[in-house]
Amino acid sequence: MTDAVERWVLGPQRPEQNISRAFSSSGLAEGPVAVISAGWQDAEAELDHVGELVGRPLSDLRLYQRAERLVQGDPVLKEAYRQRQDRLIELQRFYRRRMRQLSAAARELQAAEGDPALLAPERRHSIAQLRSLDTHHLNRVEAIHRDFEQQFSAAVYPAIEEQVDQIRSLLDGCSALLITGGNVVVLVNRMRLFGIGDLVSNLPLVAWSAGAMSLTKRIVLFHDYTPHGRRSPEVMGAGLGILPAHVFLPDARRRLRTRDALRTGMLARRFSPDTCVTLDNGSAASFHDQQMVVAEGVRRIDKRGKLQKVVL
Amino acid sequence: MNPGLRKLFRDGTADASAIDTFISENQFPLVDGRDITFVWRGEATNVYLRCWISGLDTAQPFQRLSESDLWAVTIELPPESRIEYKFEVVSGDTRQLVLDPLNEVRAHDPFGANSVCQGAGYRRPGWTLEDPLARSGTLKTMRIRSRVFGDTRTTRVYLPARFRENARYPLLVVHDGDDYLKFAQLKTVLDNLITGLEIPSMVVALTQSDDRLSEYAADKRHADYLVEELLPGLSKRFPLIDDPAARGVMGASFGGVATLHAAWRHPGVFGNLLLQSGSYAFSDLGRHQRGPVFDPVVEFMNRFREAPGKPAERVYMSCGIYESLIYENRSLLPKLQAQGIDVLYEEARDAHNWENWRDRLRNGLSWLYPGPVWMVYE
Repeated sequence: MTDAVERWVLGPQRPEQNISRAFSSSGLAEGPVAVISAGWQDAEAELDHVGELVGRPLSDLRLYQRAERLVQGDPVLKEAYRQRQDRLIELQRFYRRRMRQLSAAARELQAAEGDPALLAPERRHSIAQLRSLDTHHLNRVEAIHRDFEQQFSAAVYPAIEEQVDQIRSLLDGCSALLITGGNVVVLVNRMRLFGIGDLVSNLPLVAWSAGAMSLTKRIVLFHDYTPHGRRSPEVMGAGLGILPAHVFLPDARRRLRTRDALRTGMLARRFSPDTCVTLDNGSAASFHDQQMVVAEGVRRIDKRGKLQKVVL
Repeated sequence: MNPGLRKLFRDGTADASAIDTFISENQFPLVDGRDITFVWRGEATNVYLRCWISGLDTAQPFQRLSESDLWAVTIELPPESRIEYKFEVVSGDTRQLVLDPLNEVRAHDPFGANSVCQGAGYRRPGWTLEDPLARSGTLKTMRIRSRVFGDTRTTRVYLPARFRENARYPLLVVHDGDDYLKFAQLKTVLDNLITGLEIPSMVVALTQSDDRLSEYAADKRHADYLVEELLPGLSKRFPLIDDPAARGVMGASFGGVATLHAAWRHPGVFGNLLLQSGSYAFSDLGRHQRGPVFDPVVEFMNRFREAPGKPAERVYMSCGIYESLIYENRSLLPKLQAQGIDVLYEEARDAHNWENWRDRLRNGLSWLYPGPVWMVYE
């Protein structure tokens, strides 16, 4: 029997940092740490501060820079990549249009008054419609990725394979992986291009905010305080699926109307049976394989929309 | 009468020391719910409130309180309103426009300063104030030799913090750019919104005309200068996204006219328009009443209203409801929508001034150029 792989997810690292909390754990063996900070885009390489907090040598995988160089230098790949991105953006727009209506209807029904015997099935069905749309969208997004990857993946495209080999050899010398926060769409995009999911499936890791989101099976974007008001949470696409039973909600105190139980309750039911878990600054959760074994400051959202302590 | 003043004059009169105390203990103008009381102290024949807002008399007379040197006038102002004003003090044959000496809140514009009255509930938005944690962009100066105008034009260009030559940026061209910087704190607003990821890192070209009442009044030379000289100059010098969806132009008042006219004359160039209190004077019948400077504007707007075309894909429009231009702005909205243009239109309880335009920038910019805040989880 092999030992369980340890994985930590953390909230944002500002204003307080707790990366060192994870790296002081006995489950993360000493040794260099590979870093993915592609979510920071152009600022990917600015890791000095992270290095100080981790206290171990860092091996920067530079996925963002690799992808930029690779795509910009290869006209065929560049055109295919651009077309894929255009299709994904358009599909997201269609999804958003449908989801906005379903979401508004579901909320209206959750707030409606009437004969409970009549209302309860309507409420359930309105959430089921949202879930069905989310699943449909995720499948469509995956189909676009599969089309692309049939021609452009490490298995079939030497230029990508060369990069993946380099990444693999960097990872070989590392005892753990760190994935930072940042733009989760960019982060997941770059990780997928280089097949990171397969390369790190047995590696202990620490991930915060967007990094934590990237470990789940589907990326759920959310923000209730954008300049033009709240938006319904959106499924953006698949994550690595390393922690498939959770939807991580970084910085929930600032981004989510946690006192709007109707809204948070809908969120929990929409993504059930996965558990919606908040990751605020200072919070940390550790998993042995997929089982949560440490829960410090994290909260799960129950189906009534209440934030509850995670009981292990 | 304002309750505080009523108490001060409850015995029918008030001595100078009681008035001194009252003035030192209160903020002016006096706000009591919807009732705003302006106060002037001094010797005068008459005193008038001048606030140039649509819906109120241009000059509202103060009343002298008893036989004192205190004068007051009360107007009704809905919550969250904001107006600018001066006092007209008449002494014999002399008339003088002065700022309210009891109110330190001022707004500045190219013509000087006005006192500012903030109705109950108005708060200056936090994102208009300098934030020491916001990353600061830089301002460069660019000169462009203009064939159209036969002179050399200077444009200031805002580059976002962490600007990189190898990245590509959206572009916004701003009419009255220097005034937007000075009177609407545009640089601070850009720094704050970019740092907060509410808009993307972007390049902003701040144009300024020495003859705006002519060049911004639907002058085809100006429209051609923007599209045929300024844009190519900017594209050559800075890494810009070559896509109308990532390109926009904005302006207020006559700058709004120049914005709409340039986009109308060159459709498909600018994907985004940000129009603030545009001076869209038109005449459905007969001659307009706004003076000769508006002649070319009215001619353009009449033509535009007949054949709007599709000057842009997305338009943000705002106007203060205390502006005389509110009718023209409201009239433009359905014309744009009928062309299939995605329009966000907002009204504010404010007038034709820079702080009104400043306070709407967040909504306008973040709607036309949505930032990655939705996707970034730091």
